[in-house]
Amino acid sequence: MTAMVQSDGEIDWGAKRYLIVDDFVGIRQLLRESLRNLGAKHIDQAASGGEGMMLLAKTRYDVVLCDYNLGDGKNGQQVLEEARIRNLILPSSVWLMVSAEKSVESVMGAAEHQPDAYIIKPITEGVLLTRLNRVWIKKQIFSEIDQAYADKDYLRAARLCEEQIPVNPLHAIDLLRMKATLQLKAGDPLGARKVYEQVLEERDYNWARCGLAKIMMHDGEVEEAQKMFQAVIADNRFYIDAFDQLAQAFQLQGKHEEAFDVLQKAAKLSPNSVPRQRTLGQTALRLENIPVAERAFRKCIDIGEYSVAKTVDAYFGMARVCGKKNDTKEAIRLLNAAVHQFGGDQVTLRAKITEGLVYHETGDFRRARKSGDELEAMLADESRHRPDTATCLDMATLLFAVGVKEAPVGLLCYIARNNHDNVPLMDELQKIFDKARMGDEGTELIRSSRKEAADMMNKGVLLWKSERLQEAIDWMRVARHALPHNMRILFNSAQILISRLQQTGYVRELADEAIEVLMHVDAIAPGQPRFAQLMEQLALLAPVSGVVAAAAASEYEAANGAVPDS
Amino acid sequence: MDDDLSQHYQGSPELLMFLASTVHDMKNSISVLSGTLEHLLTNVPATAAAPVPAAAEPAQYQQLSQMLYQTRRLNDSLIQLLALYKEVGKPGYPFDPSPRSVRELVEQVEGQARILLQSRGIAFETDFAPDAIWTFDEELVIGVLVHAINNAIRYTRDRIRLSVRVDGDYLELRVEDNGDGFPPAMLAAGAQAMDVRDVQVRFSSNSSGLGLYFSSEVARMHRHRQRTGAIALENGGELGGGCFVLRLP
Repeated sequence: MTAMVQSDGEIDWGAKRYLIVDDFVGIRQLLRESLRNLGAKHIDQAASGGEGMMLLAKTRYDVVLCDYNLGDGKNGQQVLEEARIRNLILPSSVWLMVSAEKSVESVMGAAEHQPDAYIIKPITEGVLLTRLNRVWIKKQIFSEIDQAYADKDYLRAARLCEEQIPVNPLHAIDLLRMKATLQLKAGDPLGARKVYEQVLEERDYNWARCGLAKIMMHDGEVEEAQKMFQAVIADNRFYIDAFDQLAQAFQLQGKHEEAFDVLQKAAKLSPNSVPRQRTLGQTALRLENIPVAERAFRKCIDIGEYSVAKTVDAYFGMARVCGKKNDTKEAIRLLNAAVHQFGGDQVTLRAKITEGLVYHETGDFRRARKSGDELEAMLADESRHRPDTATCLDMATLLFAVGVKEAPVGLLCYIARNNHDNVPLMDELQKIFDKARMGDEGTELIRSSRKEAADMMNKGVLLWKSERLQEAIDWMRVARHALPHNMRILFNSAQILISRLQQTGYVRELADEAIEVLMHVDAIAPGQPRFAQLMEQLALLAPVSGVVAAAAASEYEAANGAVPDS
Repeated sequence: MDDDLSQHYQGSPELLMFLASTVHDMKNSISVLSGTLEHLLTNVPATAAAPVPAAAEPAQYQQLSQMLYQTRRLNDSLIQLLALYKEVGKPGYPFDPSPRSVRELVEQVEGQARILLQSRGIAFETDFAPDAIWTFDEELVIGVLVHAINNAIRYTRDRIRLSVRVDGDYLELRVEDNGDGFPPAMLAAGAQAMDVRDVQVRFSSNSSGLGLYFSSEVARMHRHRQRTGAIALENGGELGGGCFVLRLP
């Protein structure tokens, strides 16, 4: 600690680049004056969120002082989110969010993009300097951890946290919090649970209570988790994360009405969250509460306007609402707007599914059938990627309902092949077959699809075990092409590539192939322990640690869109 | 969940929005006011460097100092009113305790008070363990201490002392002055502020009521292992005048 304190004086705040975003000219002048007193020479100013974004796109600032309340257009939080997602600020940059009063956002728990610190007006030079120094020191402590995190080497990042804890007592709690997050990412909920319990012995931090309850919820201790979320809310009514989680706990118990109630409260407390409004809308739709669903989806579209979290789901939800209100014309208009604004095969496919659902629900079976036929034609095009599992399930259900048979059977077999060891999902497939009055046929189809996948996997394992590594690699490429979403095949594929690298030493092409496979599996099923283990093995093989993984990860993201951060 | 409280927010989102934007405006004005005054005060030479007898100072400088003092009082009241509106002490309040460095706390309080104290010729002393770490809501505790200092300005002769020390299971923060001490009515109000049975009285008494109420609620929100924070007003202490004491578990 003492060493840290002494190093304060060494930070040269004068040489940094600053951006001030505030709609009030008096405040901009005042802040500029304060920064000049710290020796700053390079200071840019913006009067609105939009202007701020333009400057952020041009210059990499070291420090951003951004007011939360910017009048019309983007607010400070939205500017921060967009800047982070568009990679306009360096990981080392300091973002200070300035607000007029103690901000509710700062204690909400799960705002995805938190600033480095909040500062309340009036800002004096002393407070500004203390906060800048504090954030800077914290960034130093976390820089290596953040790097390993960005490289998805979660196990190493967790170990780094552990090393930092004894030397940084002031940040011990933050380091423990990060460690638990990393353990969850690495598929080690047991380890994370221990960390949360350790923290809670010290003090009742709401984030630790929520973290613990989330793990309990996934372990099947749903009722206990529910009580813990309720206790957090009783203690802090603004802890929005607890509301969102409580809703999920109710949903897991089949208590959709209760879940709906909680979501409505959460949306009232913090209405400007795209995902929350989306969940509310979808839950309301399931409960046939059309007015609430309509409000939620509309709000979702409105706030999406200025947010990078903008989602096509809101348009689909809103189209369903219009369908329920027998306004097919407006529904179709929305679906066209969605395809126009978001584009891409997946969106086009999902828009078509929603269109079919809307026609089907409004009793226009002729048009519903036509949508079904069009979907079938889209699926026949082999060059297109199949959508995610949930969309495939929706699509199969719809196609059966409108009387198409071959395409949905193909879809369901595709799901069975790609998830051959996921038993609950197989039950779901069986139910869809049952509903289509194809129970026995379905059972047989599921069985043979699962066997097909298992055979492919086993052949790879056999080649690998008999040390015919090159053949195993070639075979797994074939298997991957046939079953692009099968987690076991993907993991085995990466494992075999890594075995090969351990034998031959580092080969760039093979390492990149392994990383691509791993990034893909992490995108479709985050938080797997095998992912963390394989990433760590791979990182050990790389000549320069981290760099290769990071490059491949960003390459993957560039080609396939951002890996969702669940 | 306590539905009465959430009703309070559910019923009036427009009022809340309106209030938030008004507060935003007021805070901007206060920021510019106090920032400009601090700037003017630091740029007036000599007087700031060495406190000289009040009579020898230019009247203008004194007036600026008085303006800064009043602006700070306005800011204190605004913080306290807001906390009251947001129901400080209740579960709806955004309470955010984290481990903090005592050194940084003192640094920030001093940073807010320095120029005002200098301009009034008051010497500011601090005494704390630089390596100490304690868990508390920094914004709120800074608010309470700065208010206590602004309050001490009224009572002190020429010295104010901020001391922070770990006392067993508590962190004890003291703001002391070398004036004649608090009048008996003030001491009584201070004692009442911590009396849970007496909520009504805590409000009614006088202008210092709001500050005391705010401070006592902030203290009370800090809880750890069955222990609760508290405030107290005393006379005596290191400098022999009034003492404001905040104890956090």
